[in-house]
Amino acid sequence: MVYVAGIDVGSTQAKAVVLNDQAQIVGEAILDVEMNMGTAAQQVFDLVVANAGLTADAIAFTVATGYGRYRVTFGDLQVTEISCHARGATAEFPRTRTVLDIGGQDTKAIRIGDAGEVMDFAMNDKCAAGTGRFLGAASFALELPLSDLGPLAMKATAPVKITTTCTVFAESEIIGHLAKGHRPEDVLAGMHYAIATRCASLVRRVGLTPEITFTGGVSRNAAMVSLLQQVLGTPLNVSAQGHFMGAIGAALYALDHARSGSRQPHVEEVAP
Amino acid sequence: MANTALPAAKADARTTGQRLVNQWLANIHSAPERGQPVAYIFVMGNAVEILRTFDFELVFPEINSLQTGVRKAAPDFLAKAEDYGFSPDVCSYVKADVGLMLSNMEHPSGTHIPKPDIAIASSLCNVYIKWAEIWERHFGVPAFVLDIPGKRFANWQPLPGTPQYGADKRWVEGQLCDLIERCEHITGKKFDPDRLAEVESNVNEMIRLWVEILKLNQQRPAPYNSMLDGLTYIGVLNAWRGTPEGVEYMRLLHDEVAGKVARGEGRVQEERFRLIFSGTPCYVNMRRMVDLFESHGGVFAASDYLTYAAGGLDSSGLFYDPSRPLESLAEVTTLASQLGLSNHFFSHQTLAQQVKEYAADGIVYHGIKSCRTVATSMADNREYVTSRYGLPTLYIESDLIDPRYWSDAQIKNRVDAFFEVLEQRTLKGGR
Ligand code: SF4
Repeated sequence: MVYVAGIDVGSTQAKAVVLNDQAQIVGEAILDVEMNMGTAAQQVFDLVVANAGLTADAIAFTVATGYGRYRVTFGDLQVTEISCHARGATAEFPRTRTVLDIGGQDTKAIRIGDAGEVMDFAMNDKCAAGTGRFLGAASFALELPLSDLGPLAMKATAPVKITTTCTVFAESEIIGHLAKGHRPEDVLAGMHYAIATRCASLVRRVGLTPEITFTGGVSRNAAMVSLLQQVLGTPLNVSAQGHFMGAIGAALYALDHARSGSRQPHVEEVAP
Repeated sequence: MANTALPAAKADARTTGQRLVNQWLANIHSAPERGQPVAYIFVMGNAVEILRTFDFELVFPEINSLQTGVRKAAPDFLAKAEDYGFSPDVCSYVKADVGLMLSNMEHPSGTHIPKPDIAIASSLCNVYIKWAEIWERHFGVPAFVLDIPGKRFANWQPLPGTPQYGADKRWVEGQLCDLIERCEHITGKKFDPDRLAEVESNVNEMIRLWVEILKLNQQRPAPYNSMLDGLTYIGVLNAWRGTPEGVEYMRLLHDEVAGKVARGEGRVQEERFRLIFSGTPCYVNMRRMVDLFESHGGVFAASDYLTYAAGGLDSSGLFYDPSRPLESLAEVTTLASQLGLSNHFFSHQTLAQQVKEYAADGIVYHGIKSCRTVATSMADNREYVTSRYGLPTLYIESDLIDPRYWSDAQIKNRVDAFFEVLEQRTLKGGR
């Protein structure tokens, strides 16, 4: 049996999956990136291999993606998250023509061609407005874990209008609204709405073509899913593995490579 | 080899260009002690030809500013302007220049930039006019604003033969006459039309060669990178426009580039993708930026920037008629702005044309928040080329000279992804 690994080292988390030669997930792992991306990559790899009940030498090919992809010194190939999210999304939802990935530092909208290839992409400009970081700021200001934000926002009855999408100013704006007596759920709903409109504009920039698949960690947030559907006026595909989509895409590239070595998107063998 | 005489060392374009740049800076530095008048001008819409006839030394504050970036000295100058009260969002060329004024005009190239005897702004970027007002206040020298009408609508040009063109041209010519009067007053010299004709002939020859040089990059592999080598060429072209030295440089450069084409020498070892760069450069990290593309075999075969920076003179066969020098100067100035420089606003068709001529695989847009003149039209432009021609495009953002706006990991990520798109298209045969 051939096994391959995909590792997605982002700015906040490192995720990894192991696939067998039937492209089935046999192991997954996730870790917070604390100090060093290279260490996190190694740890998440060790963990995913153990979770799959394997040893490292059983992995025939490893593809790394995410901002930290060049820190994965044991990786065989680096591919950007754009190609990996597109690959993962189209594998699960073959009729995907647009992918929206909200990550910790970057949000991307990707237009997919009929053969599943990336046609175009747009990313947030330099600042982190409209990315997962914005929710991170909310979680900090409200002293709530990230996973509680969506469910709480769903309880809003009078959402507050948030005027900034600046991650730095978000915290003071939240505190300001709370001080004025707004309820945390209403403030949170306003923040979710601000991100959703910002992301929707990125999606429109590449052309809102259904089906749209929403990937990345924030796709687990039900409030965000429902707001995006509302703002975009179309249903979204959301995978139960949405936050692993980059790693899954990377592993699928690894599988291509392990099988034939012919379908490389862009080859820069081993880290520079 | 032993018994063949070594050929005399031939001047090459690179050393000649370097020597000319140094000499130009030295001339500026020593202008006051030599009693030479000094003019401050911009690269778009100036009247170099007239200034040359009065022997002004030419200072290009845009070049001074970009040079602070190239020399990695920009942060100090920018900080001075910001400390003074300029917002970080103001064009960083302006801020670097203000920083220079606050540093007693001591430029990091070692040149002391003298105060201007005349300062000319044009209407081609409205920041120019505000910038010239800063000089007015700082140096006490009144600015001369050349108001050059650009294109008013897309797909409409007041070309020769139309009443609108006649009016535009007369409008510009009248201003040139005012300028001549001002120059006569400053220098105490009488305007010499024959001298203007001579300068114009030199410009004609330089531009003829320059257009050839641009065309040579239509060859595969491209002999030079528009956004690295091209930037050096354009610097010499501006500083020595209208002079015999400038003509000589262009000739050397042309022969050198033509030689590369004849030998099949490309700028990158394995040229895989031919790209067009749209927008103003990132002088503070241009080499790094170009490396990010060249490491994937991507070369910038052309750029609209080279047109802006050449004052639009390379657009569609514009030449002076030295037999009627002043009228012809007004005509070419008007047309260069309409055909070349209004492209800030209506650039999509020109870019689409370049895509064909240079067999480009994609366009890279470099947006700069503080340069709204150029960045504002990019979204429309990008929409046009992707929807009309299905051409892959990439939008990246940084600054002209401010290193704080350069985020290496983010830019590399976008560039890598762009090449993945190009590769996937190649694999699909969709190129
Ligand atoms: S064109 Fe852009 S860089 Fe040049 S002066 Fe105007 S705003 Fe500044």
